[in-house]
Amino acid sequence: MTAATDTVGVLGDGALVPAVRAALDGVAVGVPAAIVVPAVPQPAPLAALTDERLATDVGDALDAVLAHAQHALDRLHGGGRLVFVLPHAPLMAATGCAAASAVTNGVLSMARTLAIELARDAVTVNVIALDAADPAVPALTGVLAGLLGPGGEAVTGQETYLTAGTDLGRLRP
Amino acid sequence: MKRPLALVTGGAGGIGRGICARLAADGATVVLADLDPAATEDTARELGVHPLVLDVADPVSRRAAIARCDALGGVDVLVNCAGVLRDARIRTLDPAAFRRLTEINLLGPLALTRLAAAGMAQRGRGSVVNLASRAWLGTFGSTAYSTAKGGLVGATRSLALELGRAGITVNAIAPGFVATPMTDGLPPEVRRRSIDAIPVGRAGEPADVAGAVAYLATATYVTGQVLVVCGGRSIGDPYAA
Repeated sequence: MTAATDTVGVLGDGALVPAVRAALDGVAVGVPAAIVVPAVPQPAPLAALTDERLATDVGDALDAVLAHAQHALDRLHGGGRLVFVLPHAPLMAATGCAAASAVTNGVLSMARTLAIELARDAVTVNVIALDAADPAVPALTGVLAGLLGPGGEAVTGQETYLTAGTDLGRLRP
Repeated sequence: MKRPLALVTGGAGGIGRGICARLAADGATVVLADLDPAATEDTARELGVHPLVLDVADPVSRRAAIARCDALGGVDVLVNCAGVLRDARIRTLDPAAFRRLTEINLLGPLALTRLAAAGMAQRGRGSVVNLASRAWLGTFGSTAYSTAKGGLVGATRSLALELGRAGITVNAIAPGFVATPMTDGLPPEVRRRSIDAIPVGRAGEPADVAGAVAYLATATYVTGQVLVVCGGRSIGDPYAA
């Protein structure tokens, strides 16, 4: 087992990258692993989502996620763990967040498909949702330790919301 | 009272054609929009609806489509049905192909929604129905398609929150296996396995999806939902033979 900060690739430019790096401080891993933290568009009303803005905010953002995921999988030949970390609010839906919701939910569905597709390659794929304004770093450490550590091979295609139950009563996507 | 005007993209395809037929039968003025001019013209003539050639990935074409509908009274119901399915496993997926599919299946519908919603908001009513897919839940070998459809579901939910007070509902339908010219071309064994996995024991028909669209187009107290029209396939049965 080695310290995750030395061995886990953190890919992406999302606002949650510092939280992920802080959480990895307390995690030990024994398999190749990568964490993708996508950049998510700023809130904007539908009327402001011009063709150009949709192309950059949504199209380019999803292109970047694909590139990061493909790059991550290059490290995971022979098995490993892939985790996507997403902001909770646009993932669940929020007013003025259509572009961000398109990106986060696109990533969610990509992760679900990859979990199915990569199971035969011994690669697990999971999603963690965090409150971007107040990320629960200790909880993230705990979940990452489970997903990246011994026994993590049995967990794939799952979504974990580390939001202290703030979305109880809402339908998840 | 004016008949509601429904703009249906992908209207000449298997599911889209069924949607156009149903909405026309329900009394809507239907604008059948599709990329293929001949198929658009022929199908619209057959159904007695308005033909419109539309490339959902082209901004100029989108604006022209909305202008044409505005000349007919404005879009009351937008059905984003146009889409393509060309995909690959992630390790072999070409980024350019991923982007092209995103433009057609996700960015185009969102841009059309922006254009149509402006008029709907002025009139204080309207509905948007986005054709997602059961692939939103994950499907082997469909990285690009499931990503785009998942994105469409996510946008549907946030737009429902944003547009609700303007009198606009936004919902999605996630069809499973539907018998269309596209699925008719599947290898027989793949087709048989697909149908065997459906609890109701048959493939869906375009009319099954069209019925769901007709409901959501008029259900003013239903918004932000994903109606899965898949014969129970999304429930699955781990104990089935």
